[in-house]
Amino acid sequence: MSTRVLPDFEILVPQSKEEALKLLSQYQGDAAILAGGTDLLVQMKGQLKCNCKGENAFGYLLSLAEVPGLDYVEYDETEGLRIGAMATLSQVAAHPVVKENYPGLLESVGVCGTKQTRNMGTVVGNLLNASPCADCGCAILAWGGTLTLEGTAGRREVDVDDFYLGYRLTARKTDELAVELKLPPKSDGTVSAHHKMTRVEHDLSKITVSVRLEMSGTTCKSARIAMASVAPTIVRLKETEKLLAGVEITDQILESVAKSASSEVTPIDDVRSTAEYRRDVAGVMVKRIIQKVCKS
Amino acid sequence: MKTRDITLHINEEKYNLTVDANQTLLQVLRSIGSTGTKYGCGTGECGACTVLVNGKTSILACLTLAALADGMHITTIMGLEKDGELHPVQQAFIDRHAIQCGFCTPGMVMKTISILEENPNPTEDQIRHELEGNMCRCTGYEKIVDAVQHARDMMKGETR
Repeated sequence: MSTRVLPDFEILVPQSKEEALKLLSQYQGDAAILAGGTDLLVQMKGQLKCNCKGENAFGYLLSLAEVPGLDYVEYDETEGLRIGAMATLSQVAAHPVVKENYPGLLESVGVCGTKQTRNMGTVVGNLLNASPCADCGCAILAWGGTLTLEGTAGRREVDVDDFYLGYRLTARKTDELAVELKLPPKSDGTVSAHHKMTRVEHDLSKITVSVRLEMSGTTCKSARIAMASVAPTIVRLKETEKLLAGVEITDQILESVAKSASSEVTPIDDVRSTAEYRRDVAGVMVKRIIQKVCKS
Repeated sequence: MKTRDITLHINEEKYNLTVDANQTLLQVLRSIGSTGTKYGCGTGECGACTVLVNGKTSILACLTLAALADGMHITTIMGLEKDGELHPVQQAFIDRHAIQCGFCTPGMVMKTISILEENPNPTEDQIRHELEGNMCRCTGYEKIVDAVQHARDMMKGETR
């Protein structure tokens, strides 16, 4: 086992949320928060993860594994779905209400990694990792919701729309812990879907789209469209969403939506695809996913 | 802390160990002689290090910190044989010649057990989808999918 060993670090294993917050305020950016580890440990093995000083390692890993009461997935009709920081992707996928009411999220969880990584990785971790190609992150941005961040100074709620500040940069301060993700309940006409395009199954996305539409018959009251792998962060296509607000969905509308989506994304060339391809396909994907949810 | 004292239950045997903070469960398993579990990629892509938690949930030992596995009940490929008799999934892999070089087999077998634990009657499509995350570099997937179907039928008491 010579390759891909983890660098040296000290492990912090708090036994309560209060202890975790105290340690976090003590170590701040020197401590990386470890939930499922399926992203963080891979990045550390590849020497890709930098601490606040720009060094290729963290002095400390703060594990949430033994903090009780963070691995819940709960639903009620007023608050919607509440996902605790340590709830795994598998746990979320297995929740009956997710299967029933959150098809976009369910699809995104199902294509995120593999069975083993879904058993280990967390939904909140997928958001916090802030990858521009995050699977669940894209579906969550399309659905809308709030993330609860807690520090020794207190707790605050951040709208998921305001969470990503730039490439791998989030609104979480170094002494804050993301404890819960809240996704509001669906309304009567809500439809949602998620589509990830990869070269082979179980790969990172070339390009991903998630939508949530509020429909009344064939008329779209409002729309939220999120895409991954087309910008430095996962993004909402707000200009394209405007084209759908209050209109009947026709082939003509969908053509202009597709055109708008292609012009709104800002992709780059990388190992998985080219900017040109991504820009072209973005429009097609948005059009097709809307056709799909309108049929269902 | 740089090290942690943990208790691991590996194949129903209890181990009291002192592990380094940066040691993975895979490193610890192999260091105590449980070498049936293989080190493939080390980054969670190949599935060679798949083990089960509580007899049913498949996880990757290469991305699990040993220090955080305190109290865990781990089943590895070496804990499947009981009184000289192979687990039906092991037998199915042999019956259907689903082993070439054998390096992916421990992971494939553990993964298959977890698939059948969750859904005792998967279709071929479901099997192919669920087997994602376990790679066979000999590319012997046809036989492996066949073996999983055979295991499914054997465990239901039916053989084809």
